Amino acid sequence: MKHATQIKSIPDTYYKRRRLAKTAWVYSALLLIAITTLGTFAIAFMASLKDNALSEPTNFNFGQVRPSNWVGALNLGLAGNNAPLFGGFAPGADISFEITYAVSDDDSFATPVIKIPRRRPGTGMAAALTTNYAADYAIVTSPVLIEQQDNVNYTLKRGVKKDFLKGKSATWRFSVKYQGEGPVIDTLPLDITTPRSQMLIDSTLDPSRFERRGRVASWVNMSPGLIGYVFRSYVRVWNESVSLETGQSLFLSWTSNSFFIALAKVLLTVVIACTAGYAMARMSFIGARFLFLLMIFSMTIPGQVTFISNYEIFNALGILNTPWAVITMLVASGQVLIMKQFFEKFPRELEEAAIVDGASPLAILVHVFLPLAKPALASIIILGFQGAWNDFFWPMVVLTSPADVYTLPVGLLSLRNAYGVAGDWSLILAGSFLTTIPVLVVFIIFQRHFTGNNIGSAVKG
Amino acid sequence: MISKALQRNFYGWMLVLPFVLTLLVFFVFALIRTVSYSFTDYDLFSPANFVGFDNFINLLNDELFLRATINTVTFSLVVTVIQTVLALGLAVLLNSKIKGKTFFRTAFYVPSILSSASVTLIFIWIYQKNGFLNGFISQIVESTPYIVSAILCFFILQTVQVIHHRFIGLPTRFFDPLLAIISLFITVVMVYITNRTGLITSTPMAISMNWLGSRDDFGPMPVTLWAITIQNIYTTVPTIMLLFLAGLQTIPSDLYEAAEIDGANKWQQLRHITVPQLAPVTFVVVTLSIIGTLQMFDQVALLGTSSPLESRITLAYYVYHQAFSDSGTPQIGVSSAAALILGALTLVIVFIQNKFGVKEKS
Repeated sequence: MKHATQIKSIPDTYYKRRRLAKTAWVYSALLLIAITTLGTFAIAFMASLKDNALSEPTNFNFGQVRPSNWVGALNLGLAGNNAPLFGGFAPGADISFEITYAVSDDDSFATPVIKIPRRRPGTGMAAALTTNYAADYAIVTSPVLIEQQDNVNYTLKRGVKKDFLKGKSATWRFSVKYQGEGPVIDTLPLDITTPRSQMLIDSTLDPSRFERRGRVASWVNMSPGLIGYVFRSYVRVWNESVSLETGQSLFLSWTSNSFFIALAKVLLTVVIACTAGYAMARMSFIGARFLFLLMIFSMTIPGQVTFISNYEIFNALGILNTPWAVITMLVASGQVLIMKQFFEKFPRELEEAAIVDGASPLAILVHVFLPLAKPALASIIILGFQGAWNDFFWPMVVLTSPADVYTLPVGLLSLRNAYGVAGDWSLILAGSFLTTIPVLVVFIIFQRHFTGNNIGSAVKG
Repeated sequence: MISKALQRNFYGWMLVLPFVLTLLVFFVFALIRTVSYSFTDYDLFSPANFVGFDNFINLLNDELFLRATINTVTFSLVVTVIQTVLALGLAVLLNSKIKGKTFFRTAFYVPSILSSASVTLIFIWIYQKNGFLNGFISQIVESTPYIVSAILCFFILQTVQVIHHRFIGLPTRFFDPLLAIISLFITVVMVYITNRTGLITSTPMAISMNWLGSRDDFGPMPVTLWAITIQNIYTTVPTIMLLFLAGLQTIPSDLYEAAEIDGANKWQQLRHITVPQLAPVTFVVVTLSIIGTLQMFDQVALLGTSSPLESRITLAYYVYHQAFSDSGTPQIGVSSAAALILGALTLVIVFIQNKFGVKEKS
């Protein structure tokens, strides 16, 4: 510090630059945190697009993100079923496909062996219901050599090991045709077998995986369409989990259950919270103090303490496994508290005039208070929707069978149990992301009600 | 007058009636029933027999119950402490005078709005043995040579610059923000060059840590619960951050101005103004956080059989497990007794926190 006295005055710019630099650090820190929070979802979302979410977890350059594959998938879907988005294999299909292989210079090419395997699509409940196989209707033309090149650089992959080699390449073309009349088939699997040293370096659509130590290149669906290719897991989660009795998409049932339950719950909550909150805030009645204490007490006691009795009530009523068991089990203590605290802030004069006019309390609530309570109402509606949509414990207790009656979170648990063992994480992740969409939409539209100061003021009291 | 008062009472009760009914049926009645079941051997099907305190005594001899209790209390304390501190730090950072606060506030908040089911599944994927986290850690370990040399490089550059500044008489501190940017920039360039020229090399690594399926403990908790801890913090910190942020905006700015005149640095301001002024919010946050974490259930249920029961079980799950486990008859008596202990534990810990922990008034 001895030196500091040597310079008489430190220039203003010295401090100004430091302040700017400091702001830059604050921004970087905030950005880093934002990347961590949103990045977690981003990487999981990317993984949900992969054919296998657990393969090479830190590699994000895979088939589904490459535009060349988008074009390929679109054209193949068009050729297979005249459906550029969702693809398929329909009568009249004539799908032309090109594959390019490379070998080292002192090796020779072997003509690839092409096969449409008789394979069940996916691992889920839909697999059990599959009756039509593409293999029964498809004929494959023998591959025609259309191009050869020398001096080609290519990468030989063996597990995680990569070798960069130089050699020659050859391109074949073949077509898959739908023979005669028949049903439209969703997936058209494809296997192409070559010797081990012959490496697939390019194709109309990248293969889903390599099998048998790289000898077999395998496509889950060679006419997927754009969405069918990029969002395959999402299409699968929608189509593949079906009710074994009705054949209807379970995910569709879960979504409509969740919507119905959440909306009905919000409606009930609003009625209860407004009436009770108003009475507790503006009217003195015998037992009001006791009721307030009981309400606070009910908020501290975990739902697991009271669930057995409630389960028995709904069991006795015979409405287990119906949406009503979830909708009516509603103790809206938290929301009543928010409305009570909001109504308490209004001045006395507000209702006095109405009382003189002889208006009933209900009329005062509806005509005087509710129009002024829009911010608090918005808060309890939005937070109530979010809470009901995300609710897990109670729906899991009362909605057990059949699988059609689940809500989305309970459905996710069943997906996790059905597919987790098989390691089919693309599908589980896809289900998770689909589940979050409604809440995300509500959040984006009403975000100031989430992040505004309403919640803070409600808690601070 | 009497009729006026009667009328007021009547209207008051009519308006709270829907709420009171739900409260009586689903809470008071349910609580009484839980108490009465806890002294019986009820199993939902056959009539209940009074067994006195047997259920409670059996619980105290049940290793799984003791494990669940220890897990629950430790989890609650660990999560509450970490997430309160992190949320406060984040709120203070976000409260600095910068533009674009709304964007960051929104971005940070996203994990809080999503269902615990979705977020838990995403985290279970991240924690898989061949999942993203192990892959990410592998890459970090793999690039240790680069990271170590980068840190060394940064500190050398910073030291040289600061010494130079001091020498010419500027009052520059060691972590000067401007010099740090310069040091960082040069460091990045240097590491890039050493990487391209092959001066420093790294060897591929494959870490395959068992996050969810392990029976091991790490410190006071099973490894599995630590994994859940991270997820829980990730989803709850944003909510608490918002509460702190609302609290921060109520602190009068002249307090800070006065402190600045008295020569208090940022750290002292945080300790002596921000934290005491936020005491009412902190009190609410800590209380809510304790209540919330003591009933942790969703994550445990979603983990399912991929983790051993004893390394993920909490009291809330134990209660459910005794009542609706897949095997055997429902043990409603035992379950109710455990539920009561969970409820009592919540009240006791909240009471202790109010008495000896963070106070509402500082």
